[in-house]
Amino acid sequence: MKVSFQALSRHLDLAGVTAERVAEVLPMLGLEVESVTTFGLAPLPLVVVGEIKSFDKHPKADRLSVCQVDVGDGAIRQIVCGAKNFKAGDRVPVALPGTVMPSGFTISVSKLRDVDSAGMMCSSEELGLGKGEDGLLILTPRQPALGTPLNSLFGAPDTVLEISVTPNRGDCLGIRGVARDLAAALGLTLKPLTVKTPAGLAAAPSAADAVKFVRSSSEFCPYYTLRTLKNVKVGPSPEWLRRDLEAAGLRPINNVVDITNWVLLELGQPLHAFDAKKVSEGIEARPAREGEEIVLLDGKKVKLETGVCVIADAQRPLVVAGVMGGAESGVTDSTTEVLLEAAWFRPGEIRRVARRIGVSTDSSHRFARDVDPAGVELASRLATDLLIELAGAQPAGPTVAVGQPPRADVTIELPAGYVAAKLGTPIADADVSAAFARLGFTVKASATGFSVLVPSFRSDVTRPIDLVEEFIRIHGTDKVPAGRPIAPLPGDEDALTSVFTREVSARLVGAGFTECCHYSLRDAAELERTLGADKAALVAMDNPLTAEQTHLRASLVPGLAGALALNLSVHADPHGLFEVGTVFRPQADGTVREFISVAFAIVAEPVTRSWKSREAFDGLRAKRLLQDAAALAGVASVRLSFAAANGGLWQADHAAALVDRGRAAEGACGVLDLRWTRSLGLKSSVIAGEVCFPRSAFAEARKIPRFEAFSSFPPVTKDVAVIVPVDVAAAEVESRVRQGAAKAAGKEFALESVNCFDVFTGPGLPEGHRSLAFEIRWRHAARTLTDEETNQALGVVIATLEKGAGWTVRR
Amino acid sequence: MQQQLAQLVAAATQEASAVATRAELEAFKARVVGPNGSLTQVMKGMATLSKEERPVVGKLINEAKKSVEELLATLLVKVENAEIAAALGASVDPTLPSPDAPAGSLHPLSRTRERILASFRKLGFVVADGPEVETEWHCFDALNTPADHPARDMQDTLYMPKAFRSADAPRKADEAILLRTHTSSVQVRTMLSRNPPFRIVAPGRCFRRDAVDATHSANFHQVEGLWIDRNVTLADLRGVLDFFVKETFGADAEIRLRPSFFPFTEPSFEMDLRSPNLGRLSNRWLEIMGCGLVDPKVLELCGLDPKEWSGLAFGLGLERITMLVHGIDDIRHFYNNDTRFLRQFA
Repeated sequence: MKVSFQALSRHLDLAGVTAERVAEVLPMLGLEVESVTTFGLAPLPLVVVGEIKSFDKHPKADRLSVCQVDVGDGAIRQIVCGAKNFKAGDRVPVALPGTVMPSGFTISVSKLRDVDSAGMMCSSEELGLGKGEDGLLILTPRQPALGTPLNSLFGAPDTVLEISVTPNRGDCLGIRGVARDLAAALGLTLKPLTVKTPAGLAAAPSAADAVKFVRSSSEFCPYYTLRTLKNVKVGPSPEWLRRDLEAAGLRPINNVVDITNWVLLELGQPLHAFDAKKVSEGIEARPAREGEEIVLLDGKKVKLETGVCVIADAQRPLVVAGVMGGAESGVTDSTTEVLLEAAWFRPGEIRRVARRIGVSTDSSHRFARDVDPAGVELASRLATDLLIELAGAQPAGPTVAVGQPPRADVTIELPAGYVAAKLGTPIADADVSAAFARLGFTVKASATGFSVLVPSFRSDVTRPIDLVEEFIRIHGTDKVPAGRPIAPLPGDEDALTSVFTREVSARLVGAGFTECCHYSLRDAAELERTLGADKAALVAMDNPLTAEQTHLRASLVPGLAGALALNLSVHADPHGLFEVGTVFRPQADGTVREFISVAFAIVAEPVTRSWKSREAFDGLRAKRLLQDAAALAGVASVRLSFAAANGGLWQADHAAALVDRGRAAEGACGVLDLRWTRSLGLKSSVIAGEVCFPRSAFAEARKIPRFEAFSSFPPVTKDVAVIVPVDVAAAEVESRVRQGAAKAAGKEFALESVNCFDVFTGPGLPEGHRSLAFEIRWRHAARTLTDEETNQALGVVIATLEKGAGWTVRR
Repeated sequence: MQQQLAQLVAAATQEASAVATRAELEAFKARVVGPNGSLTQVMKGMATLSKEERPVVGKLINEAKKSVEELLATLLVKVENAEIAAALGASVDPTLPSPDAPAGSLHPLSRTRERILASFRKLGFVVADGPEVETEWHCFDALNTPADHPARDMQDTLYMPKAFRSADAPRKADEAILLRTHTSSVQVRTMLSRNPPFRIVAPGRCFRRDAVDATHSANFHQVEGLWIDRNVTLADLRGVLDFFVKETFGADAEIRLRPSFFPFTEPSFEMDLRSPNLGRLSNRWLEIMGCGLVDPKVLELCGLDPKEWSGLAFGLGLERITMLVHGIDDIRHFYNNDTRFLRQFA
């Protein structure tokens, strides 16, 4: 909201207070000042009124005129001018040599295309008065005397403060509200508002009135007033009114509309003026009926939602109540009789309707923030004064109010010591009551503290805690000292998701990966690739802003692949990249679950050449990183199983999908789909890994490990090689080895490890088979194992393995 | 005899120069001091000598033996050196660069987040978290921002369709599911699930329906704090924020609390920061975070009796703080992931 210093001065005596001071004080009251600008004509003593006596075409330039100008000093000056909108005899602003224009340009005596020019005739824009008509600012209609300094025509410049008003301060959407707060802060007194039109409204029109009824049958309009004004002469508003509106950023239209807008700015109460001749029989605030439509002032045709409050006559809706008027019933140049509406509408409903129609007007903005019911009639009276004064209007019947103001002043019982207790610092009772008095609240001592009467213009102050805020606004937050030292509370620990994020990030940074951060909102194509089209639809948003950000991400891998491509395209070696963040994955039960995901990606071939080569990063290193990450999340490696990953982000036959037997983790690792990564501009294949955990996986507190004793005797190691069909997974064979070896150890001794140390395909093996060799290690807790025992144990393993169809142990 | 010994030592010394491997060394050793070795043979001859000759010859033999042992020790070192050299291969130039990639780095937002969390941990705040997709109730209603409240206009919200069901944030009734606009929803979840007193900080990702530009991003990060206890005051709020700002921006940073409005705090403030160490933003008041005392209505909605419990809350934008700390001028850098940006903060 734009508030000018002159406007504030109407309500307060600001002698000795600068606009800069106001701009410092308002923010500390909660009224943030977003900008401070000058409005009107800056001091320009050398710009005076001149008359163009005659002019000729410039001999060398078609677009220029050579004018003979009189500024009343007895000499005729020659000035070259580029404008076209004048005629001989026009009076215009003339900047005499020496003038420094608002743009910083200095006017001097000069030659323009070889013709002498002693000054400049000015446009509205050149004078800093905003964009006016094209060409010179024509002063002729004002009939100013020659030589008059322009400043004396325009008055002193004003300062306009653009204030950001928080939603709780509807009262500051009127200049008087801002002035009231400023007065409280500066210890000044608000000037009384003088209104000539008397108070008092009838309950219904009389029989003689042209308007036959005024009613409200809408729950959203508990209080409605209407006045009639005859003999209205619609025309342009006077200079001061136009200026006030322009300072506030509004465009003057005609005196009637301008007056309603001026009162809205002044008091924060929206008004509406109808052309009485276009209203059939009477006015009713009523629920819209099914199928009703209205063409709004902005020309937009709106189908009204059944039940929204409209202001209607006997036949049709005229206004969407509190939001926007209709095109048909508004005031025009031919209007002679005006119905002036001032009302109170339910704030929540106005907000809802305005959003639904998709408009926000000065009216709806204010009604949505709860205008002062006590100010409704006042605003109507003030506007009536002005209509009489500026449009020659005559009050006529009816002058009616239906319903009752829905809110009144509120009394708050403020317990003694409450304010000090909330602030945490001693405060004198006298300071508390003085602050409230400055705000216009009435304070009385009560048995338990204070009784504070809060006027209805402050609908946001209803509880003792609200009074604490009011007090601190006036008292000053700088007077509250920093509080007591704080001791931590024992036993409180960080959420395990946070611990995990920290630890896994440190692990990956140590492994050479650089952390990235991508948007969570992705496009449809990415999600279809990640999840398939059916599941992708489950993570689509309802109201995305752009086509690139329509879905929630289900994987961090596409972001990382994109980042690799980006870095390579700018010739930066990305090395490995990783990210930790939330992903969203559809579940079998139809819900979408949030997972904490850890993902990394790296191009397989080194980007930077080196004097010494290193083994390329491959899917197996990715697998190890995933297992380590899972262990940090409390998911032991034994719980994880890997199977071939096919489709989606991953390259068939070159990637693994990870499954957690405890159903907590999901993931995959290996080579990314080569067609896809090539389409991103990545020439080399990309190795990536991702493992993610539902939040619930972190719910259990981490167990403190217990020490287990270990044997001091040597182990025995045996090797076994088994030939199996190639489609048998290594994990299956290993599991069988483990099973046999554990069975062989029984309770007597223990299986310590099973380790696959050789995989062989080639000559000497049957077609379609491969050989897997395992090292088995047993150990006894209390003695050295004998050869006989271990040979027997190996026999058990061999027997177990040879139960597999087509499995042969190599001997 | 003396001459014989001298010849023996000289011959051994000459022969030793050809010894290069451990096998040659062993063979050489056998030839000289083995059971049939040359020196051993001479020593055996001692038995034939007279009583008078023995001490003289014995001394000569000992000297020769000592020479041979020294020779063997020298050879052993030579052979071992040769073996080690063979095991290690050619010598290295220690000035050559390592071919391995250097350690990675944390994202600047993560670094700042961890720094901020560490500051608050000193004051007994522990980290809490919650879902990014939330119910409207947790994000707005429980925070005293009902559907028709104009405060809802302060931010534009991204919604999920009606059919969407979140496993982490099930609906209470038929309210909308949305992308949380602030991490204050974690405050609500904490108040509902824990018994006070407690102090939490909730770092996390938030979303607004904002067009992306130098200062706006469709998702961004907040760190929110909540302290619920008996008799929490505005002075406590000032103390906590003062501590945080001095930790993050240095001892010469100052704060001011500027009255403002949030539906979930009363009184509410914007906290402004002024510091001489912020480059071109030095020595002017900068808006950093919103804060205030928890509105009694919020305590009530979250099942706490406002007569017994009180609290303070604050929330800051991680991007904004990180931009200030490092002098970053465009929020989009955080999400572009150009490593020339990311590695500057390693």
